[in-house]
Amino acid sequence: DATVGTPSDCKPCPCPEGATCAVVPKTREVVCTSCPTGTTGKRCELCDDGYFGDPLGEDGPVRACRACKCNDNIDPNAVGNCDRETGQCLKCIYNTDGFFCDRCKEGFYGNALATNPADKCKPCSCSPYGTVDRQTSCLQVTGQCQCLPHVTNRDCSACEPGFYNLQSGKGCQRCDCNPIGSTN
Amino acid sequence: PRPDVQPVPPGTHLLFAQSGKIEYIPMEGSGMKISEAKTALHLPEKVVIGVAYDCVERMVYWTDITTPAIGKADLQGGEPVQLIRSDLGSPEGIAIDHLGRTMYWTDSMKDRIEVASLDGAQRRVLIDTDLVNPRAIITDPNNGYLYWADWNRNAPKIEVAHMDGTSRRVLAKDDLGLPNGLTYDPQTSLLCWADAGTHKVECMNPNQNNRRQVMEGIQYPFGMASHGKNLFYTDWRRNAVIVIDSYAGRETEEFQPQKRSRLYGIATAYAQCPSGQNYCSVN
Repeated sequence: DATVGTPSDCKPCPCPEGATCAVVPKTREVVCTSCPTGTTGKRCELCDDGYFGDPLGEDGPVRACRACKCNDNIDPNAVGNCDRETGQCLKCIYNTDGFFCDRCKEGFYGNALATNPADKCKPCSCSPYGTVDRQTSCLQVTGQCQCLPHVTNRDCSACEPGFYNLQSGKGCQRCDCNPIGSTN
Repeated sequence: PRPDVQPVPPGTHLLFAQSGKIEYIPMEGSGMKISEAKTALHLPEKVVIGVAYDCVERMVYWTDITTPAIGKADLQGGEPVQLIRSDLGSPEGIAIDHLGRTMYWTDSMKDRIEVASLDGAQRRVLIDTDLVNPRAIITDPNNGYLYWADWNRNAPKIEVAHMDGTSRRVLAKDDLGLPNGLTYDPQTSLLCWADAGTHKVECMNPNQNNRRQVMEGIQYPFGMASHGKNLFYTDWRRNAVIVIDSYAGRETEEFQPQKRSRLYGIATAYAQCPSGQNYCSVN
C-alpha cells in the first residue's frame, strides 16, 4: 500500500524473479500475477494444467514442471490429464490404468505400452461358466483367466479332452466312456 | 504491488479463464477494448475450465477441475463461494439459465450433464447416457433449450434437449473432429461451434438445419462466445482470445495476455439480460 506514507509501504513481490504481484483487496493477500512459463499459484509454486513438478521444491528437491508422462495413453484434447505435483495420470485411455497409464485396467490384458492403440489392452472376456467365481479379470500380460477344474483355453471357454459339461459352472466332468465301446 | 483486482465496471465484457485467474476484457460495440483487460478474480490454486455469467445478479460461475468444484463470485467485488464440491469428476462446461435460476454443467469423467439451482441446491443428473467427452454446454432460456458438444474421437456430436433433459436429439455428427467451443446468440438464433479437429468454425440455426462454414484454418480452439456479429474463441496454440467477424468470415482481432499459458472457457457478460420471458412461466 503506497498510500500509508512510510518507507516500508512498498515491499518486493514474494515471487520468482521477473514475476509481478498484486494484493487482493478484500483479503489483503498477495498473489503473483505473471509466473514463469509453465508455473502458476499464489507464489508460482504449482505447475500449469498438463504439467507436473514442484518448481519451488516445497516438498523435496526442486522439480521443474514437465508435461504429463502417461505413455501416450492420454488424450491431448483432455484437461486435467495428470496430478500437477506428483504426475499421477488421471485420465488414461485405451483401457489402460496405473500411475503412468502403464498397465491394463481391471478386466483387460495385453501390453499398455504397445505403439498401436489396437495392440494395447483387450478385454479378458472370461467365460462365465468356466471361470472361478465368474471373475471378469485375467492375468495382465497373457490374459489367462482363472479356470475351474479341467477347464482350458485363455478365456476358460472349453473342457480339457476327455471332459464335458462346461455349462455346469462347477468345472468339467470326466466323460467316463467305456474304453471297449469308444472309438478313441 | 498494485491492487489490480477491482470490481468489474458496468458494461458488456468478455470473461475468460487462464491459469488460476478469470480475466475480463471490456467490449466496445462488438469489439474488444484490449487496453482495459484486467483480472476479475484470482483463484491461484485452481485450474478453471468453464466460465458462465448470470446477468441478473452479475455473478461469474466457474468449474474447477483441481478441487474439483463449482464456484461463483460477484463481479462487483466479492469473495469466491464454493457451491458444489461432492460427486464431481472433471467438471468442464457450465451454463446459466438466468430466467429459471439454474446452472447446468458437463462432467467428462462421470460422463453426465447435471443441473442445480444457483445456490447449489436441488442438484440432479439430467443426462447420463451416450456421453463420452462432453465439454461445452450452452442454454437458450427464452426457448427452453440446452445445447452441448461431445468431442468423443470416435463419434463427436452436437446435441440439443429441452432444459429438463427431454426431447434429446443430435444436431450435427458428420464432418466433426473435436468440437470444443460452442455458443448460441439469442438475437440471431445461431448456434456456432469451433472445432480443434477440423480447424473450422461453423454455424447453424438449430430449427432449420442449415449448417454452414464461417471460417477454416483456425488453430486450436477451446472455448467460444458470441456478441453481435462477432465470435470469440480461446486458442491453445496461440494462447490468445481471437475475434472472428462471422459475416465476413475472417479474423479481425487478437488479444494475447502477458502470461503465456493456455486459455480455457470464455463467456459474454452482457450489461443487461437479453429480453425475453421464461418458457416455464408461459405454461
